[in-house]
Amino acid sequence: MTDLALLAPELVLVIAALVLIVVARRVQRALPAALFVILAAVASVGAGLIFSGQGIGFQASISNDSYTHFFKVLFAATLALGALLSVKHLDAEHIRPAEFYALLLLSSTGMMLAASATDLLIVYLGLELMTLCSYVMVGVTRERSASNEGALKYFLLASFASALFLYGISLAYGVTGATEYAAIASAVQQRGLTGDPLLLAAVILVGVGLAFKIAVVPFHAWAPDAYQGASTPISAFLASTSKAAGLAALGRLGLMAFAPEQPVWSAVLVWFAGLSMAGGSLLALSQTNMKRMLAYSSIAHAGYALLGLIPGTPDGVSATMAYASAYAFMTLGAFGVVIGLGSRGEELSNFRGLGASAPGTAAVMLLFLLSLTGIPPTAGFAAKFGVILNVVRSGHTVLAVLAVVCSVVSAFFYLRVAVLMYMTEPQGAAPGRLPAVVSAALAVAAFMTIVGGMFPETFAAWTIPP
Amino acid sequence: MSEYIGIVIFFALTGAVVSVFIALSTFLGPSKPSKIKSEPFECGEIPFALPMGHVAVKFYLTAILFVLFDVEVVFLYPWAVAYSGLGLTGLVEMVIFIVILMAGFFYAWDNGALEWS
Repeated sequence: MTDLALLAPELVLVIAALVLIVVARRVQRALPAALFVILAAVASVGAGLIFSGQGIGFQASISNDSYTHFFKVLFAATLALGALLSVKHLDAEHIRPAEFYALLLLSSTGMMLAASATDLLIVYLGLELMTLCSYVMVGVTRERSASNEGALKYFLLASFASALFLYGISLAYGVTGATEYAAIASAVQQRGLTGDPLLLAAVILVGVGLAFKIAVVPFHAWAPDAYQGASTPISAFLASTSKAAGLAALGRLGLMAFAPEQPVWSAVLVWFAGLSMAGGSLLALSQTNMKRMLAYSSIAHAGYALLGLIPGTPDGVSATMAYASAYAFMTLGAFGVVIGLGSRGEELSNFRGLGASAPGTAAVMLLFLLSLTGIPPTAGFAAKFGVILNVVRSGHTVLAVLAVVCSVVSAFFYLRVAVLMYMTEPQGAAPGRLPAVVSAALAVAAFMTIVGGMFPETFAAWTIPP
Repeated sequence: MSEYIGIVIFFALTGAVVSVFIALSTFLGPSKPSKIKSEPFECGEIPFALPMGHVAVKFYLTAILFVLFDVEVVFLYPWAVAYSGLGLTGLVEMVIFIVILMAGFFYAWDNGALEWS
């Protein structure tokens, strides 16, 4: 029974989701449901503070430490922001709000579980809960064929990835006789299994399975279609938080389970990171759809975030934690502006002259674009600095140079939006005021982006590796 | 690895038998292909057809509700067998599980999945 207390935040979210499912038919408007979700997110953080504490439970398959708490707070925050951003879209697209928010809550529950898991099967369970809800959310606008297409592609590729991940787990179990991280690491060390070909295959398969979840090149093909086809708030939620969940799982795996296999693990990650940074940045250059461009940008950012995991040091993992959280807020912010502008925000050309017709919106967008590029004094710069510093320290100088070059390339497509906003004449009617709920979410995201850039050490105190 | 030798022999024998049968029927059997014979065999069904007409969604709803109770029973049986050893924790966890399932069932009921009209 005391073990259940470790999962207090998840339990709160599940209870909230069940309440929404039971009253689903009686919820007509999105706003009350969204407020309920925000309340649940706050309550889950509170429950975590009061009941959870530190410790391990469920036969060492769940661990509650500072690492877990960091990600749980992050997922609760993104859940609340995602709920705020989706209010207008649900009403406009006639999506039943209670069901949608129940899926959002359960998806966040899965992410929290994945962050606290110290057992391969529990990580699988958490990530699967997250993605199962995501498929439905991507395809929830049934009338739009793009949405169906995105959902189906996402489902097929992610199921394939899950199969690879499970195969990796079964090989790891076959070689070491355990699925808990600590037991795997100690079995490898005691029985001298380092370099065992089956174990190497397991490490690579688990890495590939998780790479699919965070959409890393060459396993990124689903992301642009899913993000473009989905309703924008769902793209925002997926792009920001599903990455953080995958990175949370990767960080713990590399540091605990596959620590004896560090050379192979980091070689796999070097390729993923390099290909992803280069591929994502180059493919984003030619995009004219804003959501598609942000999708490719999210692929590139997954590569940057992986940089911190390559050295296999606690410092590196904490740099990746900082990156995941900074990235979550700035991406939610950039997507938030697209959401606020409505259907107008989806095409890049519609950002022409926004600086004159809607100066406030344009200024906020500029902040997020600067942060995504990695220009000080924004959170994006501090986070990128942290991961590149760690990768230089571990001796991967070529990769660090590639990261900087890719940042320069990415400046071209991010700042092209800024040029369109400020240096071209406005076209068509000026957009109306942003909806209040979207403004609230943007304010939070902008605040986090600025504070994360001004006082990076404040975040550093929070990002404690496992 | 010696325990796998039986499986290897099994695979080899299976492969040999299947190849022999295919080879015999190819070389000895008469070959008079026709349009219908060349189609993939699918138990009398027409293998390729465009989806025509509709299948009412209520059949799927019933099937899904069946799966709901199926899963419940699959977990209840081993739980009942091991009940005495699990104690209060087992009871509480099973109640949580049933409550979650029943919330889903209530949702389906509430939204008219059981009305056959």
